[in-house]
Amino acid sequence: MTPAITVQELRKSYRFSRRRRGALGALAGLFHPDIVDLEAVAGVSFDIAAGERVAIIGPNGAGKSTTLKMLCGVLEPSGGDAKVLGHTPWRERRALAYEIGVVFGQRTQLWTELPVRDSFALLRRIYDQESAAFARRRDDLVERFGVAGLLEQPVARLSLGQRMRCEIVASLLHAPRLLFLDEPTIGLDVTAKAAIRDFIREQSANEGQTVLLTSHDTRDIELVCERVIVINAGRIVLDQPTDQLRRRFIARKLVTLRSQSPTLTLEMPGVSRRPSEPHTTVLDIDTRETRIEAVVAAALALGGIDDVTVEDPPMEEVIHEIYAVLHK
Amino acid sequence: MRSTPSFTSERTADLAAMAAAYRAGLASALAAWPVLLGRAIFYGVCLMVLVSFWDKVAAARLPGTLATRLPPGGLGVYIGVTEWITLSIPAVQLRLEDDIRSGALEPHLLRPKPYLAQMLAGEAGAMSARLAMLGAAGLALLIVTGRAMPAPFALVSAGVLGVVGATMGLLLYTLVGLTAFWLRRVLPVLLIMQKLIFILGGLFAPISLYPGWLHTLAAASPFAAHLGFAGQAVLAPSLEGFEQALAAQTVWLVVLGGAAALIWRAGLTKLLKTGI
Repeated sequence: MTPAITVQELRKSYRFSRRRRGALGALAGLFHPDIVDLEAVAGVSFDIAAGERVAIIGPNGAGKSTTLKMLCGVLEPSGGDAKVLGHTPWRERRALAYEIGVVFGQRTQLWTELPVRDSFALLRRIYDQESAAFARRRDDLVERFGVAGLLEQPVARLSLGQRMRCEIVASLLHAPRLLFLDEPTIGLDVTAKAAIRDFIREQSANEGQTVLLTSHDTRDIELVCERVIVINAGRIVLDQPTDQLRRRFIARKLVTLRSQSPTLTLEMPGVSRRPSEPHTTVLDIDTRETRIEAVVAAALALGGIDDVTVEDPPMEEVIHEIYAVLHK
Repeated sequence: MRSTPSFTSERTADLAAMAAAYRAGLASALAAWPVLLGRAIFYGVCLMVLVSFWDKVAAARLPGTLATRLPPGGLGVYIGVTEWITLSIPAVQLRLEDDIRSGALEPHLLRPKPYLAQMLAGEAGAMSARLAMLGAAGLALLIVTGRAMPAPFALVSAGVLGVVGATMGLLLYTLVGLTAFWLRRVLPVLLIMQKLIFILGGLFAPISLYPGWLHTLAAASPFAAHLGFAGQAVLAPSLEGFEQALAAQTVWLVVLGGAAALIWRAGLTKLLKTGI
């Protein structure tokens, strides 16, 4: 397949003056600044084929957002090269903008004081879309994402889940060939997360859009992406299909049980207990050895269970585990 | 699905997008009509307080005071015009500061239309709604309080110079906002700008009343073109004065617009290198 994105030895370093302690230190820093170089991205290389859905993951400060920003064109690299849909992003930002859609989970790209319909209309002008074709695509996306009832509401009055659906529609209105998603499900409840993941996966499958996603939620990666690139300390530490990653590293779940008795004892293979408060038991489960249903059933059979929650381990732990396995 | 350049030139498309942003800004300001109404009430209260103060000073006719050199009641209308402009300008510097500091600017940079032009067009739309609302409130106050209505030519010329002056104000505050690329917080620059507008712009008193050297300095600055010229049009209306004021405002619009474009470009270059 033709690569949608080609990245070769991409690097980004920042130079800044480190502040010294105290007033005298600050004064001394004016005359003899303590210059520090920070390498945020230390030479990453990868290709992403057209139509591929790829996740870039890593702990905070790993360099994934910096990489994404360079590929979008809002940050110039210190070295290396990248081509996104044939464009060098930081030199051809405007030309590239017509061909990419971007969703930042923590930032809105809609006009909060305007009704959703008016925001979409403004985007038609911004992306120079022909009126009739735009209306057809908008109506199709509005129906597919179930936002017809939200069109007349000001964006500021939408719930986070509703807003995210509108954000994704907005990012797709100009029929981009590539979608950048930065934490698209952050802050959403379970139902809204599931809906957003389904929408993104189906949309990409239907239209052959390339998707590049960053997330701290392992479910985003498992359910949307077919390939995962793990970045840490500015370097790629792993690049493999999601299935393989799941089998090797995302096989763990955390089950939290709230019980009437202060402690619970549950001995099962692949189940270990984490330190927790009285009346709360946190179990770390290796699903390759024991299925979640079996653990929950065994816990309920003990009686006196008030609440059960099942979660994925935090991304930091997954990365830590990847590191542990890779450095064995 | 994107239109090709043969269908419409890039420049025309940019202007069409700006016009759409202007309409959106106007529509959202009108939709928030209680806010507009509140602003009009605030404008009215400000005028009542300031005008009654200056009326007292004028009535005293104290020898040597500025008030003895003004037409009777003229300062009230002058204040009405300068406050009309001042209160109509959106706080564009705060929006720029927020977008630059918080990183909210990044999604806008990923669009094919220039952020600054789009943002200013939207704010100009909101400003138009305010100019219309406060203008109507000012005229209503004139009628209700029974003050002498300025001649139609004076009103029209003050209106034209006021709209251009408000646009200049939008650009002046844009320059303040753009300093956020380097300073992060724009308050220190804003305070300096506000003081300059207060003195040199004629918000404090008509610049025609200043001593010779200060009058010359103020008249040559963009601040008088922003506020004082429109106020002067009701104090001493003349076709010649109007033409000269409009010509000076046009020059300043070009200069300020160019400065904003240059500073934006420099700020963007920094941002693309260092990130937010």
